[in-house]
Amino acid sequence: MGDSSSATFRDRLLSREEVIAWFDSRRRSLGITAGPALVWLVLLLAAPLTFMVSVSFVNVNESYQIVWQPTLANYEALFAGGGPLFQRAFVQSLVLSYAIAAVTTILCLVLAFPLAYLLARKGGRTFKVVIFLVLLPFFTMYLVRAYSWYLMFGPSGVINATLLKFGIVNEPLAMFSYGVTAIIVGLTHAYFPYMLLSLYASLDGLDYSLVEASRDLGASRTETLRDVILPLTLPGIISGSLFVFVPSLGAFVTPRFLGQGKVLMIGQLIKDRIGSLYAVGYGSAASMFIVVSIVIAFAVAFRYVSIEDLGGI
Amino acid sequence: MSGNPSDSPRTKSHQSRRAFLAATGAAGLTAAAGCIGGGGSTPTINILTWEEYANEDIKSRIEEEVGVTLEITKSTSSSNMFSSWNAGQYQQYDIAIPNNNYVPKMMDTEKDGEPMIAPVDEEAVSNFDAMYDVFQGFADSQFTANGNRYGVPIRFGWYGYSYDSRSVPDHEDSYKALFDENYVDADLSGKIVMYDNHFKAMSAAALYLGHGDAFEGSRVTLSQDQIDEVKQTLIDQKPNLQGYIAADPTYIKSLKQGNFVIGQSGRNEIVEMWSNDNDWPSMATPKEGSLAWFESAVVSSASENKTKSWEVINEYISAKNGATLAKTGFSPSVNPNTQEQLTDEQNEMYGAVDPSRLEQMIPFKAVENEDAWITAWEEVKSA
Amino acid sequence: MDHETIERLIRLGLYGTAGALLVFLWVPLVVMMVLSFAVNSSTLFPFEGLTLAHYGATFADSGLIGAMFTSMAIATISATIATVLGVLASMALARYEFPYRELYRTLGILPMVIPGVIFGIAMLIYFRTLLGIVPGFWTVVLTHSVYGLPFVLLIVTSRMYTFDESLEEAARDLGADPIETFVDVTFPVLAPAIGAGFLFAWIRSFEDFIRAFFVRGTANVLTTSMFSMIKYGTAPKMNAISTFIVFVVAVLLAIAMNAGDVASYVADTDGE
Repeated sequence: MGDSSSATFRDRLLSREEVIAWFDSRRRSLGITAGPALVWLVLLLAAPLTFMVSVSFVNVNESYQIVWQPTLANYEALFAGGGPLFQRAFVQSLVLSYAIAAVTTILCLVLAFPLAYLLARKGGRTFKVVIFLVLLPFFTMYLVRAYSWYLMFGPSGVINATLLKFGIVNEPLAMFSYGVTAIIVGLTHAYFPYMLLSLYASLDGLDYSLVEASRDLGASRTETLRDVILPLTLPGIISGSLFVFVPSLGAFVTPRFLGQGKVLMIGQLIKDRIGSLYAVGYGSAASMFIVVSIVIAFAVAFRYVSIEDLGGI
Repeated sequence: MSGNPSDSPRTKSHQSRRAFLAATGAAGLTAAAGCIGGGGSTPTINILTWEEYANEDIKSRIEEEVGVTLEITKSTSSSNMFSSWNAGQYQQYDIAIPNNNYVPKMMDTEKDGEPMIAPVDEEAVSNFDAMYDVFQGFADSQFTANGNRYGVPIRFGWYGYSYDSRSVPDHEDSYKALFDENYVDADLSGKIVMYDNHFKAMSAAALYLGHGDAFEGSRVTLSQDQIDEVKQTLIDQKPNLQGYIAADPTYIKSLKQGNFVIGQSGRNEIVEMWSNDNDWPSMATPKEGSLAWFESAVVSSASENKTKSWEVINEYISAKNGATLAKTGFSPSVNPNTQEQLTDEQNEMYGAVDPSRLEQMIPFKAVENEDAWITAWEEVKSA
Repeated sequence: MDHETIERLIRLGLYGTAGALLVFLWVPLVVMMVLSFAVNSSTLFPFEGLTLAHYGATFADSGLIGAMFTSMAIATISATIATVLGVLASMALARYEFPYRELYRTLGILPMVIPGVIFGIAMLIYFRTLLGIVPGFWTVVLTHSVYGLPFVLLIVTSRMYTFDESLEEAARDLGADPIETFVDVTFPVLAPAIGAGFLFAWIRSFEDFIRAFFVRGTANVLTTSMFSMIKYGTAPKMNAISTFIVFVVAVLLAIAMNAGDVASYVADTDGE
């Protein structure tokens, strides 16, 4: 058998027809196309995430060896501490992260809509220049963008130094120091392009004759916006919001530098526990809250848009 | 105790060579074999430690003296050194140099039934006898188990707070300056910084609250009630803070820019500013007690070059290298002979600091119930 | 107010917001670029003059430049893996019906959606605790190859959906065999999308900090070096290397925009 099969194999290597015939089998070509990525995703995505879920339900001993006995200790540790529940670090941090992510999303939406609308209606040279100016920060490293705001804010940062220099204020303004405001500005700057591009994609496909028809039929501008433009661009709004909200929720670099240690978002809390203590049980359990809330966000989004609408997927 | 960033071309040339190898796709083989920069007969000693230890003068002198190649990875916290070794990196490194309080923790950590770190090769560490008696004593009392010594002190310093004497009037040194708004005759609100570290910041608050006796045993023992009190004190202090600062260079830069005028700091930061001709910062040693540290070297039990590793450590406390290290990090060496290598001015600042001053201080020690500390600290940070 | 005035006010409002936005996007970057040439590199005032010294110091820093080459190597290897896997998977998704197809697609998009902190930690404990692999160069490559996959997948599938399959049929009717059809018809149509996918995966890997931070072991990549520079307040070099990167990206982007419709590719792949 060995001889004959190696002969066939050599034939296949040599004969073009054989190769074509071999590939022509639907099952084989499906295996060849879908298979490699499947193996990769199972080994390097599904397996690590599943392992993380299981780690959140077991104890890790002093030598960081896993003790395979089911326990809820990691989840209890998230809510450890005295005082009312809402004062526990994890809860406060989670609530704060949701709030910051929500404000950032709304800011991005409000700011991006006019620009996206203009871009969708304009073409030519202006369009190219503007899109270049928007895309360039988008392609620039996230770390660089966060850092550029690190220079702007702070008691002696560029904003305060400029205000002082021109005598507009006598003391550095607290609102331009590091803190929640700085974090929201930094996150808005970082994720704004996602919102813009999502909105642009859906506004670009918008049939403007509908807008004109609505106006012709006597609808006011607000009515047209509410009844025609918004419903038609809803997929863009939802996908843009998701792609701003989710990374803002788990942000680490921006709050790390723009919070000056006074603000603790959930990404920092988890990272600190792992980075300095290698508390993998705690970190995994805390991560589950983020993962679950993201799953819920997407599930809600899919009630209104199909997966195909998400940024042209 | 990380000092100013100093570059180390030696490490870096290794990195770029590694990058080049990686770029050509060969890194996989070398990395898998674990012998980057090795080859030939010169063993490579991997060290996980603070930035200043990578000083190029020290590094090249040690490499020549001991006949090894040093590969130094910088770290910014002892807890990180400990947890990464414990999580398996003890197999990647030969030497780590954490703060003294982490040496007993490493001694207690077992890997495959053996302690994670190896006993001192006394013959290789010939400079041990030159060390101040007080550090020899610490090594005996803190780092010795079953007749074996496990750590070698290298350099030392202490924490208190420092301030801009141009805007903060003189006062009796006390943590009240950081926590009590009425203690110092100046408006400090929004102009205070604290360490972004649970042990340092919470210890300062505990000492302010008069819990000094919690620091007396072999471990720091705060009760849950005391921890809650500390937590509340720090939360109350938070609106007056400019921020929490994690790295010494940021402290120096920010103090120079006038972002804050008073803050918890190590002595080495202020000494560094003095030696750069800034005479206005003042260092305070609070009457409630200062936290003193000494960094101590350990060798991994998985090291294949234990004797060479101890020889490397011995070089770090030689008169000459110890003096360079003191100069680089603005912190004194445990070896008094380093004074001969330094000028009078240098000696005054960081060469000839009498370690008997440490006797009135509280040495860094492990914390009882660290989880409760960390939970409380996170609540402070998220409040 | 009459109709004209309202119309004009609205237009003014639209253009005003849009203009303000561009200012918002650009001011911090421009300030950073100016500071990279300033003697006093951390803030604009007091202004102490201009210098090129920071650039000299930056490019003489062999550690930083070495880390940059490491990042480039990681980005190249991982984007290549992501592109090969992503193109094959896109073909499966666009051409075949198979069980659990939507699950497969979701799995392929997931790496883009999971926050970096969580993905990084999951990979770290998987490699270190479960598999006992010592983290280093190759764990970053593996992690980034998964992270880059969705970007290739999204761009290439959307191109395939708009691909006119009758072209392939025509080629076959004219006597081309499947291999010739792929090489002469399918691939040329897909090539720009594949190129864009590769580029995206490459950039995502190159700019990633948090995933690399967890799985890099003792390897230094550009972002982790930059992170410590910010942490230690090494502003001069940070300004210079950042400005350099903005400049390189600007040149590449200008070239790419003249060559193809970058905006529509980007619109296909938003998300972190």
